[in-house]
Amino acid sequence: MIRLSNVTWRYGSPTRRAAVGRGTDTATALSNVTFSVPQGGFRWLLGPSGAGKSSLLRLLHLEALPQSGELEILGTHVGVGVKRATLARLRQRVGMVHQDFRLMPTLSISDNVALPLRLERRDEAAVADEVAAILRWVGLSERSDALPAELSGGEQQRAAIARAVIARPGVVLADEPTNALEESQSSRIVGMLREVSTLGATVIVATHNDALVRRFPAPALRLERGRLTSDESNAP
Amino acid sequence: MSEAKGRRRDGLALSRALPDRSLLAMVAAMSLLASLTYAGAVGARAVSSRWAAGAANLVTVQVPDPEKPATDTTAGSATSMGEATAHKDGVSDASSAHAAQLPASQPEKQSGSINAATPDMTRATAIEAVLQASPDTQLVHRLNASEIDRLLAPWLGAAGASALPLPAVIEVHLSRGATLSPNVIASIAKIAPGSLIERNDEWRVRLLDIARSLLACAALAILLVGAIGAAVIAMATRLGLGARRESIEILHGLGAVDGYVASRFARRVAGLSLAGGMAGTLLALPPLAGIARLMAPLSGGGALTFGTGETGFSMAEMVTVLATLWGETPPALLWGLGVVPFAAAFIGWITAQVMVRVWLRRLP
Ligand SMILES: Nc1ncnc2c1ncn2[C@@H]1O[C@H](COP(=O)(O)OP(=O)(O)OP(=O)(O)O)[C@@H](O)[C@H]1O
Ligand SMILES: [Mg+2]
Repeated sequence: MIRLSNVTWRYGSPTRRAAVGRGTDTATALSNVTFSVPQGGFRWLLGPSGAGKSSLLRLLHLEALPQSGELEILGTHVGVGVKRATLARLRQRVGMVHQDFRLMPTLSISDNVALPLRLERRDEAAVADEVAAILRWVGLSERSDALPAELSGGEQQRAAIARAVIARPGVVLADEPTNALEESQSSRIVGMLREVSTLGATVIVATHNDALVRRFPAPALRLERGRLTSDESNAP
Repeated sequence: MSEAKGRRRDGLALSRALPDRSLLAMVAAMSLLASLTYAGAVGARAVSSRWAAGAANLVTVQVPDPEKPATDTTAGSATSMGEATAHKDGVSDASSAHAAQLPASQPEKQSGSINAATPDMTRATAIEAVLQASPDTQLVHRLNASEIDRLLAPWLGAAGASALPLPAVIEVHLSRGATLSPNVIASIAKIAPGSLIERNDEWRVRLLDIARSLLACAALAILLVGAIGAAVIAMATRLGLGARRESIEILHGLGAVDGYVASRFARRVAGLSLAGGMAGTLLALPPLAGIARLMAPLSGGGALTFGTGETGFSMAEMVTVLATLWGETPPALLWGLGVVPFAAAFIGWITAQVMVRVWLRRLP
């Protein structure tokens, strides 16, 4: 469950400067955004370049806190004054597939995928089983010992998805997961994300691939210059 | 084991992120400094406590030309070797007025007081008798030839002492809190003008002051070394954080709590600091052992005797004392030195914890 009400967020605020970028302008990335997605819902996040899609996903991934408005993720209200430990625990329940994958370059694919479980201090035997299963699911069993740099773009994308979902998070966010991929690969990845949502996670996928959206019909959130122009939330 | 190994596979790769070798070298240098300073402080404290305990009630009397008859107060003795320093210690040329008063002020031992010094005695035995008669003294002991030899051996060699015209040296242990009465001093001056009375009390106070100042300096120096060490460790941690910025951001995004990243850094830094601290402390041992060995011949047993030098308490005597005391205090010294590596590790751990946690504040 995700719920935003009148959320406004601009870059360049002191709390954000170091982490996201060193921008000194105060461009408003999101203004008065209000919507909600039920548990298990799947949403496309659409809009032209610079509309604020990545900004919204970062906010939902708690890489920043909203400057005004209310944000609720998986039953937790996120706002100024929320404890850092609470945010960290919440982040463990929000899987994020970054546009640039953000795999650890020095770790093998299986170690990368195992990270969320190891942060939870799961038993190593269980970790090995889970990693093997999830790598089989994304079709990377053979490449488990490879380093990220030794993988193709599509393979890295699938590794990133595997890492985002291995701890069975309640929310999965994906920022243009099909950007540089050919059509069959794109369909495969979106198919996986749909599967994750049918397993109960709330999934939001940002893209400007219209063909893909047409092939996988689902409600869409449309952003334009930081404002939500269309919300098909009432659809199933 | 596999769990520990697994936990390390989190992409931080700290073994390559921190400037290991320079951190180790810097911590080792700091620990070496701290060890040497601490050893000096232990020496200073030992000196001061020893003085406070033992030397407070000790007075030494030097009698020039000890074998002259006690009554000899002619011009000849005025030019004797003790004359130049006599005034310094308040022993002026004979003052018969005090001597005359003496019996009246000696309630217990008065019968034997000044009268003990009969004309046929030598100056040294006469003074011994006067001192023994005083109610303020507990023990009066005239050093014999071999004791003087041993005292002077470090400076004069094995055979030299007996060849010189040496003054008699009388050690006087006063009763607790007592001082030599003016009457006794006057008597001594009368019997043997030019006698030198060393009241260690003044020296003790001065030495205690010096020791206290040295201790304060040492404490300050150790604090400073610790602070500089913490600053060095902080800089090294910063370098490590900078080198692993992206990995840390990824872990943070995956839900790692601050404590996880902080303890990963802290453990690594503490380990390096412990190793550096051990290296530094070990490096301090050879010079310390060398000094101890240099001092060993000077620290031979026997009573500590002060004030036998012509100019009072000399540097060389201080070394003797230090050596003797050092010989007695290895446990304290070794305990303290043993603490240094762990102190370094603790400083490393706490510094890294603080640095990482502050650094992580940039991420919400
Ligand atoms: N680090 C930053 N500092 C300042 N402004 C930023 C930063 N990142 C993005 N912006 C601005 O915020 C607005 C929204 O950017 P965002 O990346 O969310 O757009 P987007 O919809 O993801 O675009 P695209 O489709 O090109 O990825 C833009 O005006 C952008 O210039
Ligand atoms: Mg974007």
